[in-house]
Amino acid sequence: MQQSRAHLWFIGPALALMVVILLIPIAIAAGLSLTDYSLGNSGAEFVGLENYEKIFTRSTYEKMFGATFRYVFVVVPLTVGLGLGAAMMIHSLGRIGDIYKTIYFLPVMAALIAMAIVWEFAFHPTIGVVNATLERGCGTILENWAWYAKGCERTFPLWLNDRDYAIWTVSFIGIWQGFGFNMVLYLAGLTSIPPSLYDAAEMDGAQSGWDRFRLVTWPMLGPTTVFVITISFIRTFQVFDMVEAFYPQGGGPSKSVYVMMFAIYEKGIQQNLMGIGAAITVVFLAFVMILTLIQRWFVERRTHYV
Amino acid sequence: MSKISLQSIEKSFGETPVLKQVSLDIEEGEFVTLVGPSGCGKSTLLRILSGLEQADAGRVSIGGMNVTDVRPAERNLAMVFQSYALYPHLSVADNMMTPLRMRDLPMWGRLPMIGPLLARDTYRVMQGQVREVAETLKITPLLDRKPGQLSGGQRQRVALGRAMVRQPVAFLMDEPLSNLDAALRVHMRAELSELHRRLKTTFVYVTHDQAEALTMSDRMAVMMHGNILQVGPPDEIYANPNCLEVARFIGSPAINTFAAEIQSDGHLALIGTTLSLVQPLTRAPVTVGIRPEHLFLSPTGRFQGHVRYRENLGSDVFLHLDVEGAQQPVVLRANPAQAAQVTLRNRVCFDLEPDKVLLFQSTGERLPCALATREVA
Repeated sequence: MQQSRAHLWFIGPALALMVVILLIPIAIAAGLSLTDYSLGNSGAEFVGLENYEKIFTRSTYEKMFGATFRYVFVVVPLTVGLGLGAAMMIHSLGRIGDIYKTIYFLPVMAALIAMAIVWEFAFHPTIGVVNATLERGCGTILENWAWYAKGCERTFPLWLNDRDYAIWTVSFIGIWQGFGFNMVLYLAGLTSIPPSLYDAAEMDGAQSGWDRFRLVTWPMLGPTTVFVITISFIRTFQVFDMVEAFYPQGGGPSKSVYVMMFAIYEKGIQQNLMGIGAAITVVFLAFVMILTLIQRWFVERRTHYV
Repeated sequence: MSKISLQSIEKSFGETPVLKQVSLDIEEGEFVTLVGPSGCGKSTLLRILSGLEQADAGRVSIGGMNVTDVRPAERNLAMVFQSYALYPHLSVADNMMTPLRMRDLPMWGRLPMIGPLLARDTYRVMQGQVREVAETLKITPLLDRKPGQLSGGQRQRVALGRAMVRQPVAFLMDEPLSNLDAALRVHMRAELSELHRRLKTTFVYVTHDQAEALTMSDRMAVMMHGNILQVGPPDEIYANPNCLEVARFIGSPAINTFAAEIQSDGHLALIGTTLSLVQPLTRAPVTVGIRPEHLFLSPTGRFQGHVRYRENLGSDVFLHLDVEGAQQPVVLRANPAQAAQVTLRNRVCFDLEPDKVLLFQSTGERLPCALATREVA
């Protein structure tokens, strides 16, 4: 019996594209990560897992993981939380809400590299507006706070160039830049909640805002939350442009802001160590993959109501 | 004791008035239906009664207490929504338990995970109540499912169950059957009536379907353009509508209406025939209404028409007749045996039952006057 081959023509083009532009590059990266290849070299030595060994033993990479995870685990919860809070507040407003929506979304639309320059000025130790503002508070009740008193006595921190503050300052800018995006996603989620559910909740005796939130809003935003958290994780893991703008030379004070994307760029592009760059990329992909799998699991188990 | 009373309720959305001075008293244990075409304000009135909407003016009282400014949650009413409004993330049992949990448990007892442990006794009582109601509604096997896994009819029952678990003062129902298929709707009509008889609680039921109103209610209130036009038992409203709009809205197929005139001699001129009235009226244009079942085929009938369409319902046949002088086709109910002798486009003679004829003024108000049963030549 002659079997039709039409199905191959249907799936063929998509499959071919996926292999060529997604799977092959990943495979090449995985292959390169096992070598000491440099761009321009005609050949490369196979070095086995040496690159991975470096990643998990050397202190530079320990700092890289430290900076990346600090950034991710500060920025993700706060952008998600602030995004939800802002969305709920805007949702409860009428027309004025549109203005806030635009304002909060502005940083998302702006190019982060340009915004980084603005922040650099703002955080500048002598001409920056942040420390200038803080100095005005000297001599007031704020000095009861030991940290503040110390700042007045000597100087306020060099926000971007102090090893103890740099990663948190960068995280702050990341939050400022990122929560508007989550807010828009949450706003879409909020609009899709049927109003009759709130009516039902009211009739059932949910009197406080917290009761309504627990009974209707939060569960109904479940699918949105899973998506928002996943996308936030991926976006924060990918942070690069801000670090490059602030610290073009090597990842901040004592490499405290040496995030993964910057490491890939520095090793693979600046130092032309393709092997190690590819290895970091593979580790990065593994993280993202794990997060995606967790998300799938949650979608199936928890938020799939229908 | 828990008589519900709405007094001079007014409500407008923006510039549009939705309710104009509406008043309605509902006795305890009554099944009252608010019926009217869409946009007549019936749902708004129900929402004002429930407290979900605030009236611009007027007073709502339940059991003699003024509750106009009381929150819905504190009015002790239960509502069944058109969309059912079940919480999709909760199982059927949890959905039904929600009203109990919100009312009977303190804050700490509602905490997830540890709440059920802290307030174990209350939970056991609540689970008992839920099971009892589930038993009544025959949904016990569904208790562990999520609403998404239920059919429309099953969801309807769960929504009803959620309303029933705590004995409320009244059940408010906002078109609860309109999302069901026709057969299920008819079945649920009977079940709701049965449920009302068993619970002996007040039911306030909103519908646009006059058949639901006629079949289930003790009393029905016909609403139009933000006013209640007539309140009364279904039989009375059907047989004795107080205005043309009510007469047209209630009854299916709709009542036949004819433009007619009361002549100077006090007789009624109706599509070419003169009929005498019980008492003569002054000369005026009037509208005559007569229901399809009060017209009958008769070889000696005074009216004639051509059969345009036969609507066969099995038990009855409705004949649509083109009658000269009438603007719309006249609908006449015939029994299948009679109708079998009628062929399409043929001429038939028919007559009316004079005591069933309704007269309306040109403004639509009912004229308290009937046709004489016997013609005085």
